[in-house]
Amino acid sequence: MIWQIDLALFVALIAAALIALWVRNLLTAVAVLAVYSLLAAVLFAGMGAVDVALVEAVLGAGVTGVLFILAVLATTRRTPERAQVRRRWTIMPLLAAFFGLMLYAGTGLPPRGDPEAPVREGVAPQYLERSLEDTETPNVVTALLADYRSQDTLGETLVIVTAALAVALILRRDEEVEL
Amino acid sequence: MTGEYPSEPVRVTSGVLTPFVAMFGLYIIAHGHYGPGGGFAGGVVLAVGALLPRLALPERIAYGAVPAFAGALSMLVGVLAFLLFGLLPLLAGGAFLDYAHVGIGEVAASRLRYLGILVVEVAVGLAVFGAMVLIFDVLAGRVR
Repeated sequence: MIWQIDLALFVALIAAALIALWVRNLLTAVAVLAVYSLLAAVLFAGMGAVDVALVEAVLGAGVTGVLFILAVLATTRRTPERAQVRRRWTIMPLLAAFFGLMLYAGTGLPPRGDPEAPVREGVAPQYLERSLEDTETPNVVTALLADYRSQDTLGETLVIVTAALAVALILRRDEEVEL
Repeated sequence: MTGEYPSEPVRVTSGVLTPFVAMFGLYIIAHGHYGPGGGFAGGVVLAVGALLPRLALPERIAYGAVPAFAGALSMLVGVLAFLLFGLLPLLAGGAFLDYAHVGIGEVAASRLRYLGILVVEVAVGLAVFGAMVLIFDVLAGRVR
């Protein structure tokens, strides 16, 4: 991807995140978060991760926004008043230190697309070479998720179902059932 | 939040778009073998096909197309289908989720794994669709 476009997208991404934190009206924050997700989806697509980009676009920029709006309407539209200034002085250095740590760790990562990267040793090349022969599936990502690593996918599905069940059990209205 | 939206253009647009959105969701689920997509993304788009009528159309139409119990039902059917189809290879002497061991006539092992991926994608799609609809219905019931 052209680095100027990458840079502009990253700047807009960070700006969207900061605006979402800064605005007091929560419905505005939800709208800005949808913009953030769409920018993230474009960045994922630029890195060649089209499957992740698709999920980010439909979930992050789509359905999550609807669910957030429902949650805001069911509770309150405005953020509470800011915490005391003193607490900010303890939180800010911690955040700055964590940010520095992340930047420092980022310098140790291999460059994007590096064929010598540790992640491309082991079983990864075999998946890439053999998935079409093994599963007749041209999309390696799908062959990985639904065949080679389908136990992981089963676990993810169970996580989603458990989360939805927990939400339903905690938040459902059952006025007619009195215990 | 749910129910008939006061603006006519919004109602008409939602009504016209809904079948295409749902169809696109099914397409994404089925297209996972050949391009970006699969159960997760497709299930979410399919859920949008159920949520859009709930947001804009009269409740009679929205809940007539996808009833309130459909969320929980589809979710459980999806997970159970994933688990039960995963158990099938065990009966044929293979490992859990290893569809190559389910011998059906002269079908090649790679073809069986191809079909297994389709089963997994459809099951995941059903589960994600159900989870989204269930969460939406429960939250919408809380909005007054």
